[in-house]
Amino acid sequence: MAQIFPKWTNQVPRKILIGLIVTANVVILGIWYFFSPKYTDVGYAPIQPVPYSHKLHVDKLGLDCQYCHTSVFDSKQANVPATQTCMNCHGQIKTDSEKLAPIRESWETGKAVEWVRVNNLADYAYFNHAAHVNVGVGCESCHGRIDKMEVVYQAEPLSMGWCLDCHRAPEKFLRPVEEVTTMGYKVDDQMLIGSELVKKNNVSPPQYCQGCHY
Amino acid sequence: MSEVTQNTYWKSLNELAQNQEYKNFVEREFPENATELNDGVSRRGFLRVMGASIALAGFAACRRPVQKILPYSHQPEDIVPGIPLFYASAMPFQGSLTGLVIENHEGRPTKVEGNDLHPASHGNTNAYHQASMLEMYDPDRSRRPSRNGAKSSTADFATFASEYFADTNKRIAFISEANSSPTYNALKNSALSKFGNASWVTFEPFGEDNIIEGNRIAFGSRLRTHYNYTNADVVVSLDDDFLAATHPNNVEYAKQVTGRRKVTSTSDNMSRIYSVENGFTLTGSFADNRLRIKASEIGSFANALAGALSSRINGLNAFSSVNNSFSNNEFLTALADDLASNAGRTAVSIGLDHSAEAHAVVAAINYALGNTGSTVSYLEVPHFDNQNNMEAFADVVSGMKAGNFDAVVLIGTNPVFTAPANLDFSGALANVEEVIQLSSYSDETSKKASWHVGRSHYLESWGDGFSYGGARSVIQPQIQPLHDSLSEIEFLSTIINGAKGSGYELVQNTFNGYYRTGFNNKWKDILHDGIDITDGFNAARVRLSNSIAPASESAVSGIEVVIRPDASIYDGRFANLGWLQELPDPMTKITWDNVALMSPNTAEQLGVKNEDVVSVTINGTSIEIAAWIQPGHVDNSISLTVGYGREGIGRVADYDNEQKAGGINVYPLRSTSGMLFNSGTISASNSTYAIACVQDHHSLEGRDMYRQASLSKYRETPDFASFAYVHKYEVPGMKEAEEMDEDAPISLFDEQTYPADEPQWGMAIDLNSCFGCGVCVIACQSENNIPVIGKTEVNRGREMHWIRNDRYYVGDDTGSPQAVHQPVPCMHCELAPCEQVCPVAATTHSDDGMNQMTYNRCIGTRYCANNCPFKVRRFNFFNYPKEYLTTGEDPDIIQMAMNPEVTVRFRGVMEKCTYCVQRVNRAKINTKIETGSPKPADGTVKTACQQACPADAIYFGDLTDNNSVVSQMKHNERNYLMLEELNVRPRTSYMAKLSNPNPVLVKETNQEPAH
Repeated sequence: MAQIFPKWTNQVPRKILIGLIVTANVVILGIWYFFSPKYTDVGYAPIQPVPYSHKLHVDKLGLDCQYCHTSVFDSKQANVPATQTCMNCHGQIKTDSEKLAPIRESWETGKAVEWVRVNNLADYAYFNHAAHVNVGVGCESCHGRIDKMEVVYQAEPLSMGWCLDCHRAPEKFLRPVEEVTTMGYKVDDQMLIGSELVKKNNVSPPQYCQGCHY
Repeated sequence: MSEVTQNTYWKSLNELAQNQEYKNFVEREFPENATELNDGVSRRGFLRVMGASIALAGFAACRRPVQKILPYSHQPEDIVPGIPLFYASAMPFQGSLTGLVIENHEGRPTKVEGNDLHPASHGNTNAYHQASMLEMYDPDRSRRPSRNGAKSSTADFATFASEYFADTNKRIAFISEANSSPTYNALKNSALSKFGNASWVTFEPFGEDNIIEGNRIAFGSRLRTHYNYTNADVVVSLDDDFLAATHPNNVEYAKQVTGRRKVTSTSDNMSRIYSVENGFTLTGSFADNRLRIKASEIGSFANALAGALSSRINGLNAFSSVNNSFSNNEFLTALADDLASNAGRTAVSIGLDHSAEAHAVVAAINYALGNTGSTVSYLEVPHFDNQNNMEAFADVVSGMKAGNFDAVVLIGTNPVFTAPANLDFSGALANVEEVIQLSSYSDETSKKASWHVGRSHYLESWGDGFSYGGARSVIQPQIQPLHDSLSEIEFLSTIINGAKGSGYELVQNTFNGYYRTGFNNKWKDILHDGIDITDGFNAARVRLSNSIAPASESAVSGIEVVIRPDASIYDGRFANLGWLQELPDPMTKITWDNVALMSPNTAEQLGVKNEDVVSVTINGTSIEIAAWIQPGHVDNSISLTVGYGREGIGRVADYDNEQKAGGINVYPLRSTSGMLFNSGTISASNSTYAIACVQDHHSLEGRDMYRQASLSKYRETPDFASFAYVHKYEVPGMKEAEEMDEDAPISLFDEQTYPADEPQWGMAIDLNSCFGCGVCVIACQSENNIPVIGKTEVNRGREMHWIRNDRYYVGDDTGSPQAVHQPVPCMHCELAPCEQVCPVAATTHSDDGMNQMTYNRCIGTRYCANNCPFKVRRFNFFNYPKEYLTTGEDPDIIQMAMNPEVTVRFRGVMEKCTYCVQRVNRAKINTKIETGSPKPADGTVKTACQQACPADAIYFGDLTDNNSVVSQMKHNERNYLMLEELNVRPRTSYMAKLSNPNPVLVKETNQEPAH
C-alpha cells in the first residue's frame, strides 16, 4: 500500500510545536514592548501652537528652567508660563515675528495660548513637582535633555514601574538640590553621593499605594 | 452578648422588637435588589438628582488623550497653580452672618470652612454652610431675569426700574427677608425716604419676632436675646433646639455648650442640660434630663417654672399665684431647685416660635436668676424694624388685596410658598400692578411675579452684615457671578437709582464711614481676617417691667399639630441641594421626604404604622402625609416639617413622581393664629408611602458599640468604658499574649511593621461632645466628591456617605428613651479584615498606618464590604462621572464644584473614608519641604469632618507623638475600641459618653447606667 503521507510529514508536529512556541514568544514580547509606554509614549512630540525651542532658549541663551517654570519648588505644578513671561522679552525682541503671533494675540485678548500637554501621567496618579525637586530629583531625570530639544518630546515612559525604579532606589538618581535644574549633570561616584544625599535629606519615597493614588 | 446588665441600644422599633421584617433586612449583606442594576427608568430618574458627581478628565477611552494646558495670559499676583488659596467671607442666614474661610483652586471656590477669628464660627460650620457651596454651582439656580416669564437681562431690568420708579409717589410694598447688612439697611432707608408712599416689612416664616416682642414686654424695648453658655452650669431649653442648624447661631452655641462638657479626668465638671419639648430634638438628645410635653403646654410650663422659682428667689412675685398642671411636677420641682441653687450661672431659653408672652416669662426668669450679663445679654440690634413684622406683613397683604399698592418688591423671600395660608398671599399679588422679586431660584413667587431677578450667591457678590452676637464682617466674593444676577444690595440700588452700581463700592463706602483715618489698611485687615469688630451690638442695661405677667395658657386638649422648619432644607430654601436632601434627618434618619412624627402610643391609638398615609386636618384644610413613629415624642402631638412638596423649582427640589420622592407641602396648614401649633385632627387612610430611612442600614445588630455612664459613675469607676469592665472578662487573646510577653492580643494574621520615620495616624471621637448634627457627613461629601444617589437608591442601601451618624435609642421604654449619636467613619484597622479578603490587593496598608483603597486596582467583588465588621465601605453602583460628564446637563458648572485633589470614583469600585489622605499628604509634603521632617506637627492636618465639627468631637493626629492631642485622648480612661474582641485594632477609637443627670430625677431602674 502506498504511503498516504510522505516521510517529511513525520516532522510536522514537531515543527508546528516549535512554530507555536516561537510565535507565542514573539506575540508576548511584541505586546510587552509595543504596548508599553516605552514604545507608545516615549518620543511623543505634538505640534505646539508656537514652535518654541527649548534648545535655543536654554542651550544657546542660557535661561534657567525656573525663569519660566516658576512654581516648581513650591507647588505640585511646575507651571507653564503665562503669556506675560514670554512678553517680558518678546515685547522688545522679535516683535513682528510671525511665529510669535499667537503670543501677541493672547497678550492682547487675554485668552490663553493652548499648549498641548506632552508629559501626561496616567489618570488617578497624583504627582507633586515640589516634593521631588526639593529633595534633589533633577528636571532632567524625568524630562530628559530638554536643552537639546528643538521640539519637546516625552523622554521617559512615565509608567508606574519607571516611577518605582527611583522610589525603590533613590540614591541612583538624586543630586544636590542646587543642581536640580542643571542639564547634563553627571558624577562618577553617583551611588556614593546619592546615598549621602538620601541620608542628608532624609529621603524615603513612599512605596505604598496612597503615596500617589487617592 | 455579655453577662453584664447592659442597657438595650436600638435604632428602630423593629430592631427593638426583633421582628421578622428587621431580621429579613439585616440578614442580607446588601438589601434586596441591591445587586441589580435596574437601568432604564431608574437611570433616567437619576439624572434628575443633582449631579454633584462628575469627572474632571475626559476622553478616558482614547489611548493618547490630547490635553491642552491653558496658562494665564496675565498672571494674577497671588495665584500659584496647584496651591489652593483661602479667603475669608461670611454666609448670611436668617439675618445673621457666620464667618467662613473659603478654599479656592485657581479662582474656583471648592470648600467652605469655618473662620477661627469669627465668634459665630470659631473655625467650625454647620451643614447649611457646607452645602452652600453646592448651591452656588447648582445648575437650576436662576440664570437670568425674566419679564412676565420671558427671558430678559439685568440691563433690561435696570432700564425698566429707572423708568418705572422715576415716579416717587408710587405706592410700593417692600417685603424683604431678614438682613443684617448695614449697606443694605442704609439703602432701605434711602428707599423709604425717596418713595414717600412705600412701606417696608421683613418677612421670615421662622423669624425672631416673638423673641423681640417678648423682650419688649419684659424690658420695654426691642432686643435680641444672646446667650453665653460658657458661663452656664445649668442650661434649660424649653423647646428650643439651639444646637440644630435651624438656629441662626447654632455653631457658636454648640461650641459653648459642648465646651462645658469636655472631661479629661474625674476631677473635671460638666454643665447640666435640661430639655422640655414635644418632639425629639438634637438638644433633647444631648440633654441630661428630658421631659416630653406638648408644644402647646410649653407656655404653661414656663409659667409654672416661674411660679416655682418665685418661692425660691426674689423678683418673680408676679408668678407666685400660678397654679397649673405642672405646678407640682416632679421634673419642674427638681429643675427649679437646681436653678435656684445655681442662680447667676444658669441659662433658660425658649423656642423662637413660642409666644411673645412666653418669651417674656423666660426673660423674667433669667432676670430674677441674675443671669443677665453673665449667661444672657440683651442686644440692641440697630437694623431691627420698629414694628411687629408678622402683624405688619398681614397688614401689607390686606393692603395689597384692597389695591393700596402699585408695586410689591420682594427681596429674597418666597411668600407665595411660605406665608401663612390664611393670608392668601398669592391671591393678594393679583391686585398689584408690578410684582418684582429677587430670588436664587425661579420659585413659587417668581411664577406670579412680573419681574423675576436672579440673586447672586454670597460666594459671588459683595456684602456685609453682623453675626447673631454683633460681630461685623464683610462678605467677600470668591468668583465673578456665574449668571446674569444681582446681589440684594445691587438690586435695591437698581430700584432706587436705576443702575445697579458697584457692590464693592457700596460696601466699601459703608465701612469707610466707620473709620475716619487709616481706612485703606483697615479695609485690608477686614478682608484678610473676615472680621471687623466683635461688639457691633450694645448689650442693653435692662430692668424688668413691673407689668410682667404669666403668659396666657393655650394648651391644646386633643391632638396638637406642630409645624417646624426642616432639619435638612429649613423653610424650603435649601430644597434643591442634593447633599442636604440626602443627609439623613439627625433624629429620624429619614432622607428625601417629610413625615408626620408621632409617639408610639398615638400611632397605636390611630392604628397606623410607619409609612401609612394619614390625613392631617387643621380648620378644614387637610394634607395627606406618611406617618412615622418617633420614640420619645409626646403623645397626642403630631410634628410636621415644611419645605417639601415643591413644583418647578429644580430637578432636586421638585416632587419626583418616578421615584416618589420630595415630600408634602405642609405650609397650607399654617396660619397666623397657629404659627407653631394648632389643634387638629388626624385620621388614617388606607394607602402607604415608601420612606427612605437609613436607620437600619449598616447595622451592627446590637453588638457592643456604644458605652456611656453618668458623671458620678465615672468618678466611682473611671474604667467603666474598658472591655474588661463591660464584659467582665479580658479581651480574647490577651491572656495568651501576656504569656508570650506581647502588648496586644495575639492574632492569626501577620502584623504590619511600620517604618520609624513615618507618622502613624489615628482618630478619637468624643461621644461626650457629639450631638449628632451631621455636619461631618456634608463636610466629607464636599471634600471627597461623594455623589448623591436619590431616594430609590437610598432605599436599596446604596448611600455613599463615607461617615455615617448612627443614632441609637437607649432603654426599654419606647415612650421616653434616651437617644445617643455615634459618627462612624472607616476605623482604619491595623489588622483590617477587608484587606485579608481582597483578591486583587486593592485595599492594603500604608506605611503611615492607614487602610488604603486603591481605586485603579479594585475589580468590585465587594468581599471587603462583606467582611467589614463596622459596615463602612461603600460601593459605586453607578457611573456617576460618566453620566454627568457626557450625558448630563451643564457638566461645566457641575465640574467646578469638585475638589481637584480627590479622584472621582467610577462604576464598580469600592470606596470609603481615607482619613482625608489628600490633606495628610499635602501636609507631609509641605512639612518635608519646609522642615525636612517626615512628620507634620500636631494640628497641621485636620480632616474635613474634624474641621467642620462645632463640638470639636473629632481628634485626629499622629500617634507616634505622645504629646499630640489625639494620643492624649487615646490614653484617657474613657477611650474604648468598638468591637475590641475581634482584635482588628481600629485606629479610630471612641471616648465614652458621660451624662450629668439631676440625681433627684434618676429613676431606680436607671441606677446602673448604660455601658
